[in-house]
Amino acid sequence: MTTRPSPALIAIAALVYVFLVGPLVIVIGASLSDTTYLTFPPQGLSLRWFENIFEITAFRRTIVTSLQLAFLATGLALLIGIPAAYALNRYRIQLPSWLSTVFVLPILVPEIVLGFSLLKSVAVGASFPIFVSLLIGHTLLVLPYCVRVISASLASFDFSIEEAAISLGSPPARTFFTIVLPNVRAGVIAAFILAFITSINDVSTSLFLTGPGISTLPIQILAHVEQFFDPTIASVSVLLMFLTVAVMAIVERTLGLTFLAK
Amino acid sequence: MLKRYTGWTLALPATLLVALFLILPVAATIGTTFADAKGVFSPYVTFFSSGFRRTVLWRTLEVSLITTAISLVFGFLTAFVVSRAPGRLKSILIIAAVFPLLTGVVVRSFAWLIILGKNGILNNFLVGIGITDEPFSMLYTQGSVIVAMVYLFTPLMILTLVGVLENIPEDLIQASASLGASPAGTFRQVIFPLAVPGLIVGAVLVFTGSFTSYATPQLLGGERQMMMGTFLYQRAMVNFDWVGASTIAAIMVVITVAVVLAMTRIAKRLNPMTT
Amino acid sequence: MNGGQTNDNRMTQALDITDLTAHYGSTKVLEDLSLSVGAGELVSLLGASGCGKTTTLRLIAGFLEPTKGAIRLGGRDLTRLPAHKRDIGLVFQNYALFPHLSVLDNVAFGLKQRGVASAEREKRARAMLERVGLSPLADRLPGALSGGQKQRVALARALVIEPPLLMFDEPLSNLDAKLRVDMRVEIRQLQRANGTTSVYVTHDQEEAFSISDRVAIMNAGRIMQFDTPEVLYQRPANAFVARFVGFENLIPMRAVARDGETVTAEAAGGARLSLSQERFGAIPDAFTLATRPDGLAVTSGPGTDGIPATLGLRTYLGRAYQYQCETAAGHLVANGALSTPLEPGGTARLVPVPDQCCVLLEV
Repeated sequence: MTTRPSPALIAIAALVYVFLVGPLVIVIGASLSDTTYLTFPPQGLSLRWFENIFEITAFRRTIVTSLQLAFLATGLALLIGIPAAYALNRYRIQLPSWLSTVFVLPILVPEIVLGFSLLKSVAVGASFPIFVSLLIGHTLLVLPYCVRVISASLASFDFSIEEAAISLGSPPARTFFTIVLPNVRAGVIAAFILAFITSINDVSTSLFLTGPGISTLPIQILAHVEQFFDPTIASVSVLLMFLTVAVMAIVERTLGLTFLAK
Repeated sequence: MLKRYTGWTLALPATLLVALFLILPVAATIGTTFADAKGVFSPYVTFFSSGFRRTVLWRTLEVSLITTAISLVFGFLTAFVVSRAPGRLKSILIIAAVFPLLTGVVVRSFAWLIILGKNGILNNFLVGIGITDEPFSMLYTQGSVIVAMVYLFTPLMILTLVGVLENIPEDLIQASASLGASPAGTFRQVIFPLAVPGLIVGAVLVFTGSFTSYATPQLLGGERQMMMGTFLYQRAMVNFDWVGASTIAAIMVVITVAVVLAMTRIAKRLNPMTT
Repeated sequence: MNGGQTNDNRMTQALDITDLTAHYGSTKVLEDLSLSVGAGELVSLLGASGCGKTTTLRLIAGFLEPTKGAIRLGGRDLTRLPAHKRDIGLVFQNYALFPHLSVLDNVAFGLKQRGVASAEREKRARAMLERVGLSPLADRLPGALSGGQKQRVALARALVIEPPLLMFDEPLSNLDAKLRVDMRVEIRQLQRANGTTSVYVTHDQEEAFSISDRVAIMNAGRIMQFDTPEVLYQRPANAFVARFVGFENLIPMRAVARDGETVTAEAAGGARLSLSQERFGAIPDAFTLATRPDGLAVTSGPGTDGIPATLGLRTYLGRAYQYQCETAAGHLVANGALSTPLEPGGTARLVPVPDQCCVLLEV
């Protein structure tokens, strides 16, 4: 093409990519080291630090909590976010225009402020159990992704198809599941993945809502780094990376990652 | 008459969740800062009369602005190269930019601890090639926080801008060339002006992300490089000064909301595609 | 560049394309294409999408590189010149107006690249906007214009740099029918007035024929015939062009007797026709007779000439009835007089009207 970038620009871009990918390679490398201190390149390959993760009770427990939270929060957010997104598109005339802004608020308000406010009002003020508070926080956190991504797919959905189905005798509720939902499947999958990743990696909101006995993996890592600086942290980081990738892969296998092709 | 309320019924659960657990609690947090016994604005007077607190706010603004500027420049140049890359390479480059985003803030900040630490990779390298005998202490400086934040947010900038640059029709670039503009001239006179709204959106994302961050300043800045996020946590969870913490929260909300609203409005006005 | 000085020699240069070949990846999209456009001439490249007409235009403009061949404009060899140094005015299908620049700045853009001083370029851009009747809109952004106005701005932008070659890429396909006709007259007038050599790409036959000095009909990366609209319309050189210009009936024939200039030819099924070589040129022993529906008269009156046919569906055209006919020479479409409508299922004879026929040498 006529606008092929100059070699200087390509060199800059290459350096930026080294800068982007390098640190992750280093973490993976460090996690495989046989030494008791963090080092790169790894000296002697070993998986002992991965085994070590599971010997530390706190890590074992927080991995379970983080997974539970991510699945539950994502599920809940989809459960209430899909109808909301549908309403925003299908019943646009009925609903006030500011309503769509409401669902963006959790992104607009700094996460750390949300966490702190939930601590005051919900965890302490209303004495909700820790896990419930965390679940509320995470559901709020991921709701905007669900509503926005699914809204975007619904925006390109031709609602006359739905009307055609209803005119052929399909009841509205069933039509939603048999006609509308399958056509926005890509959006639902994208929303699921985005929401899951956001939840499982969250620090700022969870920070205030974890408590005695219940914590999430990123918070536990943060606490661990401040006390110990051994390769366990690198290996648990790698584990978190792979958990994310694994969920994406499973979703891809079962539902198809067609949205990535778009 | 059920039909009239179908829309509301469907949107209700999500609306209630946001109203009860976001709007109310955050409003309560901001509210407490105006309900202080010592006077309506006394928490703010306390905040702004303290040199330390002003420094924290100023440092947070400075770090966020520098981070935004650096990732804007490198993100734009990289996004330009990515957007002009041939099909297959382009997908690989986009995936390579997405992957860091899938990895959490903690992991990515931690990576810089390994790199910048006293016995870190960078120091080992510098000592190894004889540039220095004594390892530099690079951690817990403003520089280390900025490097990690640029690392954190550049992928976001690249992805935002690749989208924007790809939306510039190839026709316009060809029209510019056919009228005699050199590739550099086309970049300056056509591509850049059309990318400005996208640059603003990217800048807002990076700025608010940096401004409200916690994990990165906590890991790489520590006590010495206290920022608004880490300061809020300290006031709330170490000093149990909830009014002080609420004041910090309120200032963060005001600044981020103001920046987002102002900049998106400017971006919308500058966007010729929407008119 | 010479600062865009008006220069009559510069404005009328011939375009010569020789043996141009191009590939997309490993697919050959253009094969040994040669084309000469005379100075001041307007030539259309006409064909369906995928025929190579747009590829040819992009090669001339410099957005694609040929694998072989040469492009020369006046004395200059453009083949390896970067697009921005070719000095060609281009009018795009989607207008390609810069959305962030006012109408005036869009028109002045090319002058700016040529280093024309700001006051001078505004003067010339305004004068050009005056010519296309858009002076009052000079300060608007393109987003606020209608399709026709956008196309005028695009035209003004391409003309103001006074290029030695002007190229149009389906410039009217996004406009409604009425505006299309108005705009093509306008384009032709401006082109004539300036005498700028022009290449016009379109898939619309009527548009190409009405606007061009000569038309190149393209198919599968080759030029099938390159001639004036009149010749193309009346004397297509091959079956492809014949079908393209509406010769729906292609009837294979054999010469069975020759008497001086008159050749008697027979179609499958035995129907015989007498054709004059004075009118059709030398007629070989095997050839194809091409006719439009108008060139086959449906008649049920007495006589033995023509091709016997069974009539099928009849449609009303306003000036005639059209019949789908089954004959021993295959399915043919023929017109019959309004005064004598014939019933489907009946039989009739299809008599060729020599003025409306042509002889194709290929079978």
